[in-house]
Amino acid sequence: MEILVLNGIVNGLIVGGIYALIGMSLTLLYGVLRVVNFAHGEFVIGGSFLAYALFSNLGLAPLYSLPVAALAFFALGWGAYYLLLPRLQNSDDPEIMSFLMMYGVSIALAAVMLLIFEADSRSIDYSFTPIAMKVGPIYVSTARIVAFGIVVLLAAALTGFLFRTLPGKALRATIMNPEAIKIVGVDVVKLSAFAFALASAIAGVTGVLVALVFPAFNPFSGAEYSIIGFIVVVLGGLGNPVGALLAGILYGLAEQLATVFLPQAMAPIIGFGILVAVILIRPAGLMGWRAQR
Amino acid sequence: MSAAIAVHGLKKRFGGLTALDGIELEAQPAEVLGIIGVNGAGKTTLMNCICGIYRADEGRVMIGGRDTTGLTPHEIAHQGVGRTFQVPRVFRKMSLIDNLLVPVLDRGEADAALIERAEGTLEHMNLIELRHNFAEELSGGQQKLLEMARMLMPDPKVVMLDEPFAGVHPVLCKFMIERIEAMAAGGKTVLLISHDLTSIYRLSRRVAALNEGRVIAMGGVDEIRGNPAVVEAYLGN
Amino acid sequence: MPPELSGAARSSERAAADRIYYTLAAVIGGIVSIYFLVVPVLDLNIAFHFYLMLWITMASAFNVAAGFSGYMPFGFVAFYGVGAFTTAILVKSLGFPVLLALPFSGAAGVILGLLFAPTLRLSGIYFAIVSLALAGICRLVISNMPENITGGSFGLQLGSRAEPVHSFYVMMAVMLLALGVILWLSRSRLGKALRAVRDDAEAADMMGVNVTRVRLYGWLIAAFFPALCGGVEAWYTNVVDTETAFNTLTTAKTVIYAVAGGLGTVTGPIVGSVVMVWLDELIWRQFPLLNLLILGAATVLLVLFLPRGIVGTVLRWRPEWRRYVP
Repeated sequence: MEILVLNGIVNGLIVGGIYALIGMSLTLLYGVLRVVNFAHGEFVIGGSFLAYALFSNLGLAPLYSLPVAALAFFALGWGAYYLLLPRLQNSDDPEIMSFLMMYGVSIALAAVMLLIFEADSRSIDYSFTPIAMKVGPIYVSTARIVAFGIVVLLAAALTGFLFRTLPGKALRATIMNPEAIKIVGVDVVKLSAFAFALASAIAGVTGVLVALVFPAFNPFSGAEYSIIGFIVVVLGGLGNPVGALLAGILYGLAEQLATVFLPQAMAPIIGFGILVAVILIRPAGLMGWRAQR
Repeated sequence: MSAAIAVHGLKKRFGGLTALDGIELEAQPAEVLGIIGVNGAGKTTLMNCICGIYRADEGRVMIGGRDTTGLTPHEIAHQGVGRTFQVPRVFRKMSLIDNLLVPVLDRGEADAALIERAEGTLEHMNLIELRHNFAEELSGGQQKLLEMARMLMPDPKVVMLDEPFAGVHPVLCKFMIERIEAMAAGGKTVLLISHDLTSIYRLSRRVAALNEGRVIAMGGVDEIRGNPAVVEAYLGN
Repeated sequence: MPPELSGAARSSERAAADRIYYTLAAVIGGIVSIYFLVVPVLDLNIAFHFYLMLWITMASAFNVAAGFSGYMPFGFVAFYGVGAFTTAILVKSLGFPVLLALPFSGAAGVILGLLFAPTLRLSGIYFAIVSLALAGICRLVISNMPENITGGSFGLQLGSRAEPVHSFYVMMAVMLLALGVILWLSRSRLGKALRAVRDDAEAADMMGVNVTRVRLYGWLIAAFFPALCGGVEAWYTNVVDTETAFNTLTTAKTVIYAVAGGLGTVTGPIVGSVVMVWLDELIWRQFPLLNLLILGAATVLLVLFLPRGIVGTVLRWRPEWRRYVP
């Protein structure tokens, strides 16, 4: 039993790291733009499919797909922002309207992936050597360890960016007070486009990591990751990147440990249940800055 | 006979900030009680506590002799309390008539009677021609008038006005002052928050001056005008 | 600006406007009724029209939640699924005749709505997300129930005979009932209270509206009809399984069709459903693979260029018509 629990903890950290990245990018998007990106899961799976395509067609190892995904999704996010978002700011209820719009984007993206890759589950048949390593008394696949290492690097880089660089601080300031930031003279449009692009890039890169960590994915997996993203964001507090980081790890641990004690099919219920419970009891999340309504 | 409205020892804290620190006041029917104080003195918080939006931490609110502390806002409204807001809170995507009907939806009167009454009130407020427009299409001053009309529909005994003159055209102000005088003349109790001291002194029989969550002085207009504590609070230190 | 009218003149003008409103409603209702009545008789495409009626009903019920009350339940399909399974279980396992099972489906929807009622105090986005999660929980709970009750992954077969024409007319009855209720709601005091709560719940509270109770009534009305739809559709297709009964695409289409027509009016969801279902049929026949993509793209385009929907945009352009258009 202890081995199982230890396994659960180690995998929980690894999976949690991925959830943390998804949550951090999603919460950044919400905090800066007040956009609830329903299509975030599709961005992530898009990254997975990109890695898959590069691997199957060009033999490119997944690690090399990381910078490709980062650049590609950054550009896509930048373009998507200018194409889709400025009009929304003038509507009666920008939050719900953007939610609806991203709902449409998520359907469209899933459809595109379906058209290109069809509905079958895909996975990347890439193995590191050695295929697994011993961590204490248990074996963990090298792919997962590598992915975790990248997660740590990325999370650290993102946190460093947000807290120590000027553009990062500008982003955090916008999250705290979108009105004031305009008065101070910051080009909010460019900053918003940058935030969208950055969040998209992180999502895309996370997708590559998903391909390394999880056994398989298909065009409809995006919806699951969107939900996980929402859970992590709400747990950590809307707009709080550090909160999302902690919440992601916690949620990953909870999920993996739950599978030790409960049947696999029940796991999503735990996730949904946590989401509902947190929203009803403490909507500001574990570390929320802004309470709702 | 009990006061139309009485507040005893009302305290309200928000985290570390004490907004109300033991408010004591009362007002009688057919009286306008002016409430003055600098920003942050607690005037709007007091109104929010009276009408049930905030739950007071300590103290009691009595409306017509009945303890309304802790009741929900709609229950308090049914006790005959109406209010307007500093920044107008009209029902934006409803017509003016519908706005006026909202406070009287649970009355037994027939639809036609209520609508006629609403139209009469709108006529009084010079808004009758816009009666089918959505409330969001009105100017700020017109929305304040609409709020006043809406407030009067259920014929409340106690009426609370939060900065009705703020940002309003002088002609409209004069009109509002006449309406307020009519309310008091008709037997209503009016609690009037305003920074417009001229209007306050003209309309009020008594004035309560708030500072840092307390009533530092309450009395007739002349008394308050000359009260050194009030002057000091307003001019600062 | 029209000249100011006296009280009596206003009263008769109001009566005239009401007459136009109800005449228009009757005309639309009449056209809709006669058209659908005649579909099986003239042997037009029953399947197409059945689902058209279904979407009109779903979009209209969603409009009660979204347009009148201000809630966007992204887990709307939960009511539909629960209704479908209730009818299926009652018919298959307990031998109920379908027409007796349907009211139970409606009741199941209402009960689920009551269960979800605590979420009504949440604001827009939180409510939408929680609604989605709750629908997910419903789906998982039902698919994990014992196979002899809910059929596991194979689903439930209702019986040996599907009756397309009978279920078609029952769907029509459900649709007309829904439209009738919504027409009543839009003019009733409850409808005004709902809209006030939608616009500013706190202010409505201070104006004497029992916000919690009003929200609940609107919500339960919105929950009743999709559940009925699920039950009737189960009868029509004769089979129910968790994948199709709790398909997120059902919510997606409901939301999109309602938004396309315009939230907040009775005719909006009808127009939206007719236009979108017709477009869907046209495009699906030519480009079956692109169906999903076009749905997603259409949503994006709608939000960008026609956020108030067809009817909503027309009314924005001609606000005076608001009083006459149901």
